[in-house]
Amino acid sequence: MDQNITEANSPEVLVATESRTPGSVAMSLRNVAVSFNGKTAVRDCTFDVESKKVTSLIGPSGSGKTTLLRALNRLHDLTPGAKVNGQILLEGTDIYRGDMTATELRTRVGMVFQRPNPFPTMSIYDNVISGLRFNGVKKKSMLDEIAERSLRDAALWESVESRLKVSAGNLSGGEQQRLCIARALALDPEVLLMDEPTSALDPIATLRIEELLVTLKQRVTIIIVTHNMQQASRISDDCAFLLMGEDRAGELIEFSTTQKIFNDPKDSRTLDYTLGRFG
Amino acid sequence: MTVLLDNLKDDDLTENISAGPSRGWYHWLIVIASSLFAVVSIGFVGSILAYSFPAWGHAATLITGRGWQSPTGPYGGLAMITGTLETSLLALTFAVLVGLGTSIAIVFLVPRRLRTIVATAVELLAAVPSIIYGLWGFLVLAPWMLKSFDPFLAKLPFSSAIFGPSSQQFGPSLLLASVVLGVMILPTFVAISREVISAVPNDLVEASYSLGATRWQVIKDVVLPAAKIGLLGATFLSLARATGETVAVALVAGGVADVQFHLLQPGTSIAAWIATQFGEAQGNEISALMALGVLLMLINFSLSLISRSLVNRQRKALARV
Repeated sequence: MDQNITEANSPEVLVATESRTPGSVAMSLRNVAVSFNGKTAVRDCTFDVESKKVTSLIGPSGSGKTTLLRALNRLHDLTPGAKVNGQILLEGTDIYRGDMTATELRTRVGMVFQRPNPFPTMSIYDNVISGLRFNGVKKKSMLDEIAERSLRDAALWESVESRLKVSAGNLSGGEQQRLCIARALALDPEVLLMDEPTSALDPIATLRIEELLVTLKQRVTIIIVTHNMQQASRISDDCAFLLMGEDRAGELIEFSTTQKIFNDPKDSRTLDYTLGRFG
Repeated sequence: MTVLLDNLKDDDLTENISAGPSRGWYHWLIVIASSLFAVVSIGFVGSILAYSFPAWGHAATLITGRGWQSPTGPYGGLAMITGTLETSLLALTFAVLVGLGTSIAIVFLVPRRLRTIVATAVELLAAVPSIIYGLWGFLVLAPWMLKSFDPFLAKLPFSSAIFGPSSQQFGPSLLLASVVLGVMILPTFVAISREVISAVPNDLVEASYSLGATRWQVIKDVVLPAAKIGLLGATFLSLARATGETVAVALVAGGVADVQFHLLQPGTSIAAWIATQFGEAQGNEISALMALGVLLMLINFSLSLISRSLVNRQRKALARV
């Protein structure tokens, strides 16, 4: 593993090297690259995601943020021709080559999508516990307890308490997205991946989700893709900046604390992007 | 520039667009064509109703009577109605069970490159003229069923109660008609249900995988419930196709106007009965056949309407997500 880290410190990839206590790293990416049918979509991604912090992935369209994020819970397994190279470690275990199944991984690394996608045929309650049901939990008292806790954690309990059996389609967009967060939280994941979770929401709903994320990081590590730089600077602790290279493949330009990325970046392209000079 | 604009305004905009629809030859062509369509449709439905009119005086016999006494009457249609229901529903059961599995396999199991080929092949099968299904049923399936399938059926419990004695001659029976119909509507059901299933938004599929669902759970707990209404629509549309099918049933059902619940015995359906009888029919018998036709039309209209409204509901339900 040490060897990998050294390799990754190629000149254009500037990895934050502040000392981190062992165990505080939730996920480690080592030279991660994703290709579709042999064509590289994103590459050279090496950084550590710290536990119980918000890490944002920023960069213009086509820089591979979402592609990288989807590699972290093996969603690319569903796409024929997709290939993930390099190493992704969850608590030290290689998620692609270790003895972890994709199903187990996805219960430990949850995902919230760009468009709220509650299951339209299920009630609010059934949506929240769907992940538990998929994983064989049947005990009613346990399901009830986790449903309430997850909805409380997603700041949705008060508004849906009285209508848990109502179809999830009746909720507003912001409520639907919080339901999707609750649904992911119900499995008590270590890491929560979020792919531009507020891009389909109005400013007020966005603000409420952002507040929620700041509370949530006390118990779950959050990795969030956003193309809203204010959002990244408001809520994230660490920040990875990706950019599309000349061969149209995205690559990691810089990874550091959000503070540094926005105030004192090492790469001039990072500065240009955060100042809004392109993208 | 100004000159150009002025020209354009004068010549084109003012005369052709601002002055309302122009009455060119194509305008009249469209008016004539559409009026012709209206006349033909009204004339078609009207004349069928008119021809069937005398038979409605004996509506009760037509719907509940047994036995078709040509040329004197009475003309009882119960055998045709039960035959239609038996063969269509049996065919539908077969088509839905096999077809649902097939559509799921096409969407979720078949490799992406093969998927288009398989889907196209299914759609081509749905377009095969029904006489060919009928011929196949008569020449290939019937002898095989007599030789291999009927003896197997005979060993099943309650066999004689359900299937009755095998006709043992050429093999035409309600069961054979049902199987031929089932094979015939299978591609129709698969073609529609495959589309309904693939229309389930991918983000629901991804959401379920992200919650640790297995592929089977994704299909069973998320995709099929989301596609439920559309699948029901596909079912009704296939049923409509089965009830209206004529020539294949005429070839393999046996053409016997008996109310028959033993599936290995010959029977008939409304459509097949009309096709085989109208050549020699006269007077009241023509009215009776026409009235049976109206009945069939009503059944088919309702099935199509139900199926269409279901498919629309499905579309709206998914659009809301």
